[in-house]
Amino acid sequence: MNRGVPAVIHAAVCPSPPLLAVELTGRADVLPELRTACAEAVAWLLAANPEVVVVAGAGAATATWDPDDRLDLSGYAPALGTGGKPGLPLAVGLGAMLLDAAGHAGPRVLQAVDEQAPPAECLGLGASLRGLAPRVGLLAMGDGSARRGVAAPGYLDPRAASFDASVERALREGDMAALADLDPDLARDLLATGRAAWQVLAGAISAPGTAGVPAGRVLYADAPLGVGYVVAVLDPPDREPVPVPRA
Amino acid sequence: MSGAPATPAPGPLVLGGRSFPPGQLLVMAIVNRTPDSFYLPGATWDEGAALERVHQMVAEGADILDVGGVPAKPADEVTVAEEVRRVVPFIATVRAAYPELVISVDTWRHEVGRAACEAGAGLLNDTWGGWDPELTNVAAEFGAGLVCSHAGGLPPRTRPFRVSYPDVMADVLDRVLGLADRALRAGVRPTGIVIDPAHDFGKNSWQSLEITRRLGELTATGWPVLMSASRKDFVGETLGADVGDRLAGTLAVTAVGAWLGARIFRAHDVAQTRQALDMVAAIRGDLLPARMVRGLA
Repeated sequence: MNRGVPAVIHAAVCPSPPLLAVELTGRADVLPELRTACAEAVAWLLAANPEVVVVAGAGAATATWDPDDRLDLSGYAPALGTGGKPGLPLAVGLGAMLLDAAGHAGPRVLQAVDEQAPPAECLGLGASLRGLAPRVGLLAMGDGSARRGVAAPGYLDPRAASFDASVERALREGDMAALADLDPDLARDLLATGRAAWQVLAGAISAPGTAGVPAGRVLYADAPLGVGYVVAVLDPPDREPVPVPRA
Repeated sequence: MSGAPATPAPGPLVLGGRSFPPGQLLVMAIVNRTPDSFYLPGATWDEGAALERVHQMVAEGADILDVGGVPAKPADEVTVAEEVRRVVPFIATVRAAYPELVISVDTWRHEVGRAACEAGAGLLNDTWGGWDPELTNVAAEFGAGLVCSHAGGLPPRTRPFRVSYPDVMADVLDRVLGLADRALRAGVRPTGIVIDPAHDFGKNSWQSLEITRRLGELTATGWPVLMSASRKDFVGETLGADVGDRLAGTLAVTAVGAWLGARIFRAHDVAQTRQALDMVAAIRGDLLPARMVRGLA
């Protein structure tokens, strides 16, 4: 923990469906708007010239992975053959993939957070990221509820839409307290796998001793396949917002 | 096996100026310019109807068009002049409408093959197993492809009568490889030679099932294999199905053949055959699926 270090955090938020990997979706360009929004968010993040980019995403355990690790797609599509790091969490691996696609060759930290970690643990992990460098880029990979409709992977839960809407609002308004307050039990019920990563984000931006409200912009928020996807960028507090580059 | 040529490794098939790699499964769409073919007799006897059918088949994914003017079954004589009249102007019309489409002519006669090549055909589908040896020379002269088929030595337009083979697949291999060798020696382009076990031709239905089951022995030769099984009697006899009810059986034969390495599939039902082949190609890993999102959202 490096409390008091005046780190500047630029943050981008992207979802982590396997279908973000074009290798997995066949000949069709699946959800091009979502893919474009993710590319734009990451391009924006890198345009802030962070000294290090942290990919934070849920996994089976809190752990830092080797920066060279990449997603092993064979678990999803055996025909693609092995390659990549077995066990690397999906959300972390897709974040690394987005950085690669954006041409990021600089330092990166691949940080998995236990998907069941209580909020305080997630917030603490986020706060600790502030000590990595004076300017940290945080790519928080997380998804809303997978119960957004009767055709959704987890079928319809009537609470799902308002849960996702609350996350979208929090990102738009830079309301980190609202993210910090997300209920892990409700998130688990709703199959909202992004809860832990969003709380890492909240911990990084609103660590103790920080002030101000980040300026959020939501680039995409929808659930076209029944899973809530939100793409957003968050400028540090009290800074002129930097335009998001068009992909 | 007579003077077997060295076994070629599977390579591209070049027909009508187009090159098809080994993993690509091709649909050869049937258009019969006859009043009396066994399936939908007379449906494309009228030239306008035939051309409409071509438009549809191309839209459905046909890679090759196989134009025939004489039914395989014994019936009234169709003279050379009449066969030419039925198929050649039509080939010219299709050639003009679809410059990229590979056009095949289903004939055993060299006179018809020659006129068809002059009109734009790029493949000679010699279903009767080299009955007219001059046809091979026509293929060589025009740089056309040639289908080397097994008809068990029967004359054109005859039915098998109590045909028995010590080993039907050995006979198929012997005859088609012999024809391929003859074609090579006559100067036919090696990249245009195709072999076809010719289901039902000179075979009872047991024998057609056998060559289907053992198709891998044909594909192992390296020559591109054509499967021509669409709605044929062996499908009907196996399933107890009339000609109008043989699509599912045909598609099963198609899938098995594709799995065993056949590359060209002669078909009445282009859209369904295309789908069956695309499915097999995706299973084999030769074709990227159309759109995958199930479980990936």
